Order: sequence, then C-alpha cells, then structure tokens
Amino acid sequence: MSFVEWTFLFGGLAVAGPLIAHLLARPRFRRLPFTMLRFLHTGQIESQSRRKLRDLLILLLRCAIIVLIAMLFARPLLHVSGDPGQTGSVFFLGLDNSMSMAYSDADSSYFDKMVDSAVDFIRTAKADPAAPVFNVCTLASGDWARNLTAEQALAHIKTIGVEQDSADVGEFLSGVSQASRAQHAGAEISVAVFSDFTPNVLRQLISTEEPVAVAEIEHRQVGSSRSVDNAAIVDAHVAGFADGMLSINAAVANHGQIEQNRRLTANARTESSPAVEITLPANQRRIYQVQIDLGAAGQEQQFLPVELSLSGRDGLKEDNAFYLGVSVPGHKDTNVLLVGDSANEMFLVKTAADTLSRTNPYDTFNIRSVLAGDLVQSDFAWADVVICSTIAERLSYLSASVQTFVSAGGRLICFLTETIAEEAARQLWQRGVLAALPGNCVHGPMYPESKPRDSRAFGVDNLAAKSLTNYRVDKILLKGYLECKGHADSRCLWQLQNGCGFIYLKRHGRGTSILVNTSADDSLGLLTKSNASVAFCRYLLGESSRVSEHSFVRNERVTLPIPEPQASSGERRQFWVETCDGRKRRAAVTDSLLLVPDPMGIGWVKTVGKPATYAGVNLPQGETDMARPAAGELASVMDRVFPVDVDKEAAQAGTFDGTQRRAIWRIIAWLIILLLLLEPVVANRLKR
Amino acid sequence: MKQYRKYLDPVFLSKLGNMDLVARCAVEGFFSGLHPSPFHGFSVEYSDHREYHSGDELKFVDWKVFGRSDKLYIKQFQQETNTTAYILLDSSQSMAFAGNGGVSKFKYGCFLAAALSYLMLSQCDSTSLILFAERVTKRIGAQSKRTHLNTILAALQNSKPAGQTNLAGILRTIAETTKRRGIIILISDLLDDEADIYEGLSHLKFVKHDVIVFHTMDHQELNLDYEGLIQFEDMESKARMRTFPQSLRQGYRQRVAEFLNDIERTTGNCGIDYCLLDTSKPLDRALVAYLAKRKRLM
Repeated sequence: MSFVEWTFLFGGLAVAGPLIAHLLARPRFRRLPFTMLRFLHTGQIESQSRRKLRDLLILLLRCAIIVLIAMLFARPLLHVSGDPGQTGSVFFLGLDNSMSMAYSDADSSYFDKMVDSAVDFIRTAKADPAAPVFNVCTLASGDWARNLTAEQALAHIKTIGVEQDSADVGEFLSGVSQASRAQHAGAEISVAVFSDFTPNVLRQLISTEEPVAVAEIEHRQVGSSRSVDNAAIVDAHVAGFADGMLSINAAVANHGQIEQNRRLTANARTESSPAVEITLPANQRRIYQVQIDLGAAGQEQQFLPVELSLSGRDGLKEDNAFYLGVSVPGHKDTNVLLVGDSANEMFLVKTAADTLSRTNPYDTFNIRSVLAGDLVQSDFAWADVVICSTIAERLSYLSASVQTFVSAGGRLICFLTETIAEEAARQLWQRGVLAALPGNCVHGPMYPESKPRDSRAFGVDNLAAKSLTNYRVDKILLKGYLECKGHADSRCLWQLQNGCGFIYLKRHGRGTSILVNTSADDSLGLLTKSNASVAFCRYLLGESSRVSEHSFVRNERVTLPIPEPQASSGERRQFWVETCDGRKRRAAVTDSLLLVPDPMGIGWVKTVGKPATYAGVNLPQGETDMARPAAGELASVMDRVFPVDVDKEAAQAGTFDGTQRRAIWRIIAWLIILLLLLEPVVANRLKR
Repeated sequence: MKQYRKYLDPVFLSKLGNMDLVARCAVEGFFSGLHPSPFHGFSVEYSDHREYHSGDELKFVDWKVFGRSDKLYIKQFQQETNTTAYILLDSSQSMAFAGNGGVSKFKYGCFLAAALSYLMLSQCDSTSLILFAERVTKRIGAQSKRTHLNTILAALQNSKPAGQTNLAGILRTIAETTKRRGIIILISDLLDDEADIYEGLSHLKFVKHDVIVFHTMDHQELNLDYEGLIQFEDMESKARMRTFPQSLRQGYRQRVAEFLNDIERTTGNCGIDYCLLDTSKPLDRALVAYLAKRKRLM
C-alpha cells in the first residue's frame, strides 16, 4: 500500500489524544468511607477485568478511527497484481476543435497547427518503452476515444474536424479525473491540452473548482505569429417594423488587432438591405442598424430567414454571418359585432377594441353594434368576432347561423346575465355552440351560499388574468350567481374557489366560443360595462399580432413557433423540422412552440412544410474572440487546474514491477462509518 | 453557656416536657413516682405534712411536731424511684459515618443519649452512661442527682468514635456486671454479627432488664443513593470495594430491608423495644414518636 498524500499520515499521531485520555482519564473512583460493605459484597458486582476489557476495546476503536481518517486523507493506493494493459504511462489529450480553431491566416489554420502539434506529441510519447495508452477528447463535442495505442491515436486525430461549436473543457476534466481515480489509478497520467486558449476557454479553466492531479501536464497554445484579423457579428435583434420596413440592430465586434473596414448587409430571401459601411478599430464592439424593405410583402404574414453578413475577408469566415428568424405578422382586419340590448351597453368594449386597433399596426378592428332584436343572419357572415352582452331571445332563431359561424372559425363571446333567454341558451347548447349551460337551464337559479374568496385561472393569459383580478369577483358576488354546467369538450379557464366556473372556452375547429359567467354582477354592472372589460377585451378578441424573432446560440434549446394554420386549429400532430445539417427530425410540441432537438451546428432550423418558420442558430458570443492570454497567466491557470503530483511520479516506480495500485478510500470510509457506529454501542454497554 | 449544654437545647427539651418515660414492669416499682420500681428507694426528701389517720404507720409520725403542738402529723416524702437507666452508646468507628456530610451517627446518638439522660434525671431515675466500641471505653455510674447530668453530658462531649464494634461482647459484659435491674437503652448501628447481637440482647432480657434498642442508621446506609464510580472503604475493617452503586442499589436496599426486618422481628420476639432512627430525620421527632409509642404501651 502507498499513499498519495502521505503527509496526512502524520495525522495518525493524533491517537496520542485518546491514549493520553485513557491513561489520565481512566475511570476515577470517588473514595468514600462506608459501613455496610457486607451488604454490597453480596450484590452483583461487575467484573473489573471485564470493564477493563471494554475500556481497552473503546480505546482501540477510537484509535482505529483516527488512524483510518488519517489514511483516508492520505489517499491510500493498494498494490494488487496488475493488468499489464493498465500499467505504464497514460496520456490524456484535449484537442480544441471549436469554431475558433478554424481561424486561418497566411500560414495555415489554427486547427491544422494543432493537429501537427498533437501528432508530434504522440510520436514523442510513443518512444516510451512502457507502451503508453492514449485517450483523446475533442473539446467542442466532448467525445472521447479511449485506450488507444499511438497508431490508433494518430489515426483518430486525422478524423477530427472543426465543429461549429464552442469548446467545453468540463467534459475533458471530468474524464481525466474519473480515469485517474479508477481506471488508471496508480498509472502515470500525463495531460496535454492543445488549444488556442481563447478567453472563453480560459474562463472555463479559471472557474474549475476541482483540480486534477497528474504526473505531467503540457499545454500548447496554438496561434500565429501574425496579428489576428477577425471581425464577427455577435448579436442581432429586430428594432422595429413600420411601413414594410424591417429594422435590425446588429452588434459587430472586432476581435483582432487589425482595424476592420467592412460592409454589413442583411438578406431576407430575395430582399436585401442597403450595405452599411463599417469602420471598426481593433478590439471594439459597436451596434449598426440595417433596414430591409419588404414592400407589399410586408402586409402579409411572413416567416423570414434574415441573414446578416459582413463582406470582405478575415481569418474566420463562419462568424461573419448571423442568422435571425423573424416572424412578420400580416395585416389583419377583424370585424367585431357587438350585440346588446341597448345602444351604449357595449361602449367600453367598443372603446377597448378601437384602442387596440390604433396601437397595433397589424390589426384593425372594424366594429359594428347591433341591438339583439335586430340581429340577422347576414351579420354573422360579416363578423369575425361576435360579442353578446347576454344570451338574447333572438339567438334561438339564429342558432343554426351561430353554429355555422363558429364552425367557420368565428369567435363567439357570450356574457351570462341573470336575464338570459333560456330557450336560446338551450338551443345553442344542444348544437354544441355554448361552452357551458347556464344553471337556470339546468335546474333553476342557483345561489351558492358561500361567497368565493378567490379564483384560479387555467390557461388564461396573464393580461386577461390581471384584468379579471381587477374585476374583483370576490367583491361583487353578493347575490349568488348561476352555476354553469361545462360542455364535455369545453375547458373551464377561470374557476372560483368554491368550484364554480367563471370562464368557459370551447373550440370548434378554428372557431371558438367563450362563455363568461357574469350572472351575479348586476349589483355593480356587467363585466362589459366595467373597467375590467378594457383589459379583458384583448383576450376576448384573440391574440394580437406582433413581430417576433427567433435567434439562438449553440447549446441553447431551440424553439420554433407553430406555423399557421396548425396553431389556430389547435391540432396536435407530429411536426418535422430541418436542422442545420439539413437532416429532418421530429420536434416535440408544447402549447405554442416546437422544441427542436440538437440543431447540429450553426445556421437555419426550419419547419418542414409551408409556410415554413425559421430560427437562427449562431455561435456563442465570445467563441471567436481571438484575444491571446499571457503565457504566464496561462501557465499559472494550467498548473492550478492540473497540479503535478510528485507522488504519482514516485508511484510510477511501483507500476513496473507488475503491480497495479487501486484507490481504497471507499473501503476506509466505510470502515470509519462502521467504527463510528460501533463506538457508542460499546460505550453505552460500558455504562450499563 | 458551656459547650455540652447544646445537648439540652430548651426548644428540644420543651417538646419532651409532657412526656414521661414509663417502665414496663410496674409491679416491681414503688407507687410514688411514675416509675413502678421493683425496689424501695434509699433516699427520701421531705415534701409536706398531713394529719394522722388511723391505719397510718407510726414510724412516719412527726414526733417533734407532736411535742410542739400536741397533734399527730404524718411526714410526707417525695419518693424517688429506683429505676436505673443504662444508656449504652456505640462509639465504634462505624458510628462516625455521615453519609451526606450531615450529622454522624455518633453525634446523633450523643444527642439522643443527652436527651434521654435529661429526661431520666428529671424523673429522678438513676442514669448510667456506657460508651463502648471493642470494649467499654467510658463508664459513668448510675446516679439520680441532677448534677449527674453534667457529668454525662461532659462525657458525651469529649468522646470520639474509634475502634471496631464488639457489640455482642459488650452486651454480655453489661448483663454480667449490672446487678441492678433497669432500663438498658442501646444506641448503636448494630453492625456486628447478628446472631451475637441477638444473643447479647437475650442475655440482658434474661436478667430482667427492660431493653430499648435505638438503631441509628444513616440515610445513605438505608438507601445507597450514591452515583458514579465509587471506591467504598470500610470504616472499621478498612476493606475496599470499587463499584457502581447504581447497579447495586436495588439489591442492597432489599438486603438492608431484610436485615432490619430480622432485627425488628427478633427483638420483638424477645420483648425488646426496637426503634429505627434515620439520622437525616430530626432527632426530636423520632424521640417524641418513640416516647408516644411507649406511653401508649403503658
């Protein structure tokens, strides 16, 4: 047995503590004069020898615990008959094949230099008579090739290529750490890292918390003697969309030591932006705006793959492009029909719709008010959204039209008052139009005794929920209300705490019917007349249109919007997407998004089928930052991450005699636990 | 106030003021006094005169008064009883035991002996004090004079517990050397061979003594309330024993209870009064309780 940190064995001297305590603090008998010793003599007297034996046992247990703890800290290695394949030198090579290694100048690319350097290293190590074993890890992908001979390692390196990803040293470090503890415990472990050591890699090394002790560490910083010439588009966002003009702000960084004079352009399918001339000093980052004129196409809903690019050349061309998926909503006219018993009953709803129409450049609400008694079939043909302040008697005659309306994609919103027309409600219910049947149509008015103190929302968007909070249903439900019976296909989106439904929603293909149970608020006025209706209106009218952008960096979870018309139809079916490598994959579906599996590189991810939605996948910011760390700083960091373990070197001497060393700290840890459990048992036994 | 007077604390004595110690064997006492005595008294003290009635013995006629007044008067005397109390106080080393630093058994016995002496002498009983260990270390003869109390109290004050117990031998000696019948008051922890003790007590009873045993025991001796590791050292034999009292407590109490029951049963069978006194309890309370019991018996 040998020890990695043998100095901790001095901790075993702490056994002097219990020994001294045993000698000095032996059971001290209080001396007392007594008279009736003969009555004690006949009693059960504990054997002195037995007690001494127990004392000795406790002493031994405590000493053993201390010695074992010292051994645990000393990291013991057990010599066992060795497997010849596990002895000798083991090399762990970390090869940086991240995007930054694709940088090339007049000499050659960083990656080629790194491969040459790694090949040299392996050939040098191959001269070791102990048949070295090589383990190669690519830092960008984290893939390992283990237990290779020198020839296999050389062949493997030839197959490695640059990946459009950033370097992650975590996988490499954990692999080396695990192997040194288990598989190659006792062997001489040498680590060699080949990288350009960009600030990104250096940050990861600095933040490493658990160093990995090795016998030898070598790092080779791949670089060029020339000044770095590299600029990159590091970020981009949609700044706005107006009059068919899409504005995009792009952040451009000069990662090199050479001033960049470039031109920034944005391309969206056939449309291109005017080029923006850029003059960017070394190590500077600035934001530039480019505009794409979409023209008449901007009036329609589009999913645009916008690619920003820097013209001209530098050492790394992959970061001269940035991919941004943009969803531009088409102009939408929505006809809203307000049906009420009086002319101004829906005043607030009308005002809210007008306001929404003015604030949103994509949506226009054409509003018409009609008295319930004057409602005719043609009104439904005109309307996209019908809002009824109550279920009027007239609807019983038009129930077939209402059914056709919602089936064709219309949106029907009915508020429930105490004076609804039961016949109309029943007919609409029978046709499956109403999301819920009011209580008086079920078995008369119901006035639950307890007043609900709170309410819960299920699937209502935040804005609607907030507006309903302002509505303060808990304050106005003074007289009781009608309890509704939800349709089997409907969902109760808002429920009062006593279980009564407040908002019911039922989908009819693309159409929707909503029932808002405002039966009890006659005391303070209908919801349609309250301030809550203004905020609630947006929910009732449907989602508003807005420009959205979809841009991700590598290693982020990529999502895509569900394209129309599937989104509005609510169908849940399989969606296929095409990832950056051109392969088609199946995407997971959530309520409103598609979760894309690993995009396999940078570029475009898009849905298969028309219309296609796009998302851009880009390099993480800073990945292509070519700033070089100081040699001293790098050496210091590497020495901290991979401290050279002199004992490993000494241990190597033992590996040549055909034995292998295995860490036995687990056995010792379990022994300590066992003894710790045993000690109080024996101690208590002594007291008894 | 002399040091030994502490044994006669007025507060303590006031509690005994209305109590009379009554001997058991009334037939042998004189009618005067509360103690029936088996013998006539030797000394008489003038008390009063009364007119002669027929039947009175002529030897009690005061002829001097007759000569002066020509009337027959009878001289009346305060008759002293002739009961002799022998207080046997064990002064062996074991009596020095004081369990929780309180009053030792010997001190307790001294208090009790002093109180009894005062009581006896107040009733004009002859009182003798015998201190003993292996042998009799101090013997104060029986006298009924009030001044005799000072002698007894001084002896108690100056005595120290020492030596081993030889109770059986002492009792035999007392039985053999005490010619006059009386009350034997034994104050001891009775830590001797039980059979010998019974034999000695029986011997005393055989020679017609009235025997009262005050068995003084310390609270720790009765209960063994010690905690922790203790090395007990016998106060007389110096034998040592290491043990954990808590582990022996139950058995110890049981054996002590058996010991006390044996003594009480055996003394009861012999017609000997037995009173167990716990030195942690007030002396006066124990004494009063005993005397009350004696009074009831009478």
